[in-house]
Amino acid sequence: MADTASLVSILLDRILSIFVDEMINIPLINPIVERLMEIPFVNVIVAFILWKPIFHVLILPGLLGMTLALLFIIYFERKITARVQWRVGPKEVSRRTGGVIQALADGMRYLFQEVIVHRDANAFYFLQFPLISFLPVLLPLMFIPAGGTYGIKTIYTIPAALALISLIPVFIVAMGWASNSKFAYIGSVREAFMYFAYEIPFLLAVVAMIVLYQTPDPFEIVAKQWILGAVMNPIAFLAFFITVLIATSRLPFDIPEADQEVAFGPYVEYSGIIFGLVMMLPYEKLYLLSMLSVILFFGGWNGPEIAILGDLAPVIYLYIKTILFMCVVSLARSIYARYRLDQSLRLGWGVVLSLSMIALFISAGWAAWLRL
Amino acid sequence: MDEMIEFLHDGPLSPIKKWGTKWSIWPTHLVTACCGVELAHAFASGYDGERLGVLNFGMARQTNCIVVEGAITRKMARILKMTYEQMPDPKFVIVMGVCGIKGGLFWNGYHMVKPFEVVPVKYFAPGCPPTPESLLRCFRALQDEIVTGEAKNTIAYPRVRLKSEGKKKRPKKVPPSPKYVALNPSVVVDVPRDRKWEEGMEYRQRISEILGEVAERITVTGKYRIHVRVSRDKFVDAARMLRDAGFDHVKSVNIVDVPKNKKFIVEYQVSSYLNPEFIRLILTLFTEIDREEATFPSLVDVWPSADYLERELHDLFGVWFEGNPWMGKPFLLAPDTPKNPLRKDFRLQEEVYIGGEDK
Ligand code: SF4
Repeated sequence: MADTASLVSILLDRILSIFVDEMINIPLINPIVERLMEIPFVNVIVAFILWKPIFHVLILPGLLGMTLALLFIIYFERKITARVQWRVGPKEVSRRTGGVIQALADGMRYLFQEVIVHRDANAFYFLQFPLISFLPVLLPLMFIPAGGTYGIKTIYTIPAALALISLIPVFIVAMGWASNSKFAYIGSVREAFMYFAYEIPFLLAVVAMIVLYQTPDPFEIVAKQWILGAVMNPIAFLAFFITVLIATSRLPFDIPEADQEVAFGPYVEYSGIIFGLVMMLPYEKLYLLSMLSVILFFGGWNGPEIAILGDLAPVIYLYIKTILFMCVVSLARSIYARYRLDQSLRLGWGVVLSLSMIALFISAGWAAWLRL
Repeated sequence: MDEMIEFLHDGPLSPIKKWGTKWSIWPTHLVTACCGVELAHAFASGYDGERLGVLNFGMARQTNCIVVEGAITRKMARILKMTYEQMPDPKFVIVMGVCGIKGGLFWNGYHMVKPFEVVPVKYFAPGCPPTPESLLRCFRALQDEIVTGEAKNTIAYPRVRLKSEGKKKRPKKVPPSPKYVALNPSVVVDVPRDRKWEEGMEYRQRISEILGEVAERITVTGKYRIHVRVSRDKFVDAARMLRDAGFDHVKSVNIVDVPKNKKFIVEYQVSSYLNPEFIRLILTLFTEIDREEATFPSLVDVWPSADYLERELHDLFGVWFEGNPWMGKPFLLAPDTPKNPLRKDFRLQEEVYIGGEDK
């Protein structure tokens, strides 16, 4: 008996030491953490939560931070559209705060609504795809670092994250296929078309920035940005911005899910909480791409040090910059009208592709000059 | 299954469910008639229904409320039912306009359906059209009902009793329904009005040259209007002659029902696009047929543009156009509409008002 007990305690100590090695250091909550660390078992849990990879993926800027950002951005989008149209927007749900919890109310409603699986649907895949489509959303979060925290530390994080993000449209097309309805079919085909139109200029724009900094390692990229990337290579930023709009189906390019034409395209048959999940997908993609663009173009987590927040300060800088970028993108929704499919294909294959080519040349020029 | 529904309704989580549903009513709008304008108004910058968390939506599958805007016809009723069945539970229906209550403007029409016979309606917004305020009040009442579970008026008017004058009371009775068969004198469609058009006589001359013996009587009935009476047997010949002379299309086909004389008057209004001589002239070719056995030779072969008009009249009057390929099938009307609704002796199911609150 005594042997087993000591074995368990040794094992726990080992695990604890792994966690403690890479624990996030926040001076603000240090007294509480130290108090908790003295209690056995609890200390393992606390250390686990504060372990950098777990903190990164689950709390900030991971799952929790993402959920909050999405709830806010949906509210912000509705509110800013209302303001542009001289309306008030969501308000009565919480009068004092101007209705910030509107998106939460919508989410609750979806959570308790009936989920209909219609007779023609391929029920197995129909219900499965919305759930597993979280994989290509959460996995990139492992790779994109946030300064103080990080999931997996390699120098190839940006290519790896991009590869995973590009998987999302596959799931959307698959959802449309599983729905087996004509609107979903049209929407899926549109999505596939758009995918080819934006993916190449998008990758070229990112490659341009990697050439500019001569490294794919985000830590080095951020360290090198004493001039913002968007200023060094504005053409690359322009191409990146337009492709982000296309990739996340924001309004001038929300062709796959154009609700007035094809009634939400691939998502048309989803209802209840499953619809809530699939509707989040473009927003989650927007969150990831915004984070990436902040790292590439806006100095990532650079900012003045705040001693009391320790490792958390860079994470918060990144988070706030990401949300600001998302706000700018969602403003596009209330300003522009929708393009036709052929127009945006022409734009993607023509203008944006040539822009990203030019950006590549500019970056090459910078790189050659800086090396001299 | 029932336990789960029970759990959702009264379980510990039900307050969250009610709160969410209350603040997130997303109506799909079923624009069937003119009330749709007022719905747009209720969600535009003046009234802004989105304040209440009410967001207009185009799709049924993702929403929880239908706003029926106005008249529901027999054809639309099917669509209303389908839309309702597509929506996930919990779902609500709000009806705008008097058309949705008893038919309103179209009361006792042969094509009207009352929405509350098709789907369970929660609230009515009366008015023709109702104001945006009253529509938004419906949403408020619905929100209150979701939380408290009881339907209440959101506004209560004080009750006023009118003092009677002491004279003899008028009986509370609605005037009787009008007689259906009009007893007016026989209808004459070609009353001559030569004075209205000076050059009319030249045109009359020209038409009579074209038609020769076939025309029974040619009359100028107004400016650029000429009526030609032809017998039923020679109608197709007359049409051919006119077409060869340059009248290349049919503008409209009419039937006038004259039950007193037991006849239908069939009119074809023809004109010309290509012949500059007749470009402004509208010539009405008409004849009378027997009301009991209403058949008529179709003019589809002469003027293809008469096709749809003949189908429509077959629907509404039951005249059989021999030679038109569509005869015997409903064209515009829903399959369950009563037959020949525009004949003057057509009778609907009698509908009665119940006047006053104490009968
Ligand atoms: S109630 Fe009046 S405004 Fe509304 S649909 Fe009927 S006729 Fe049109």
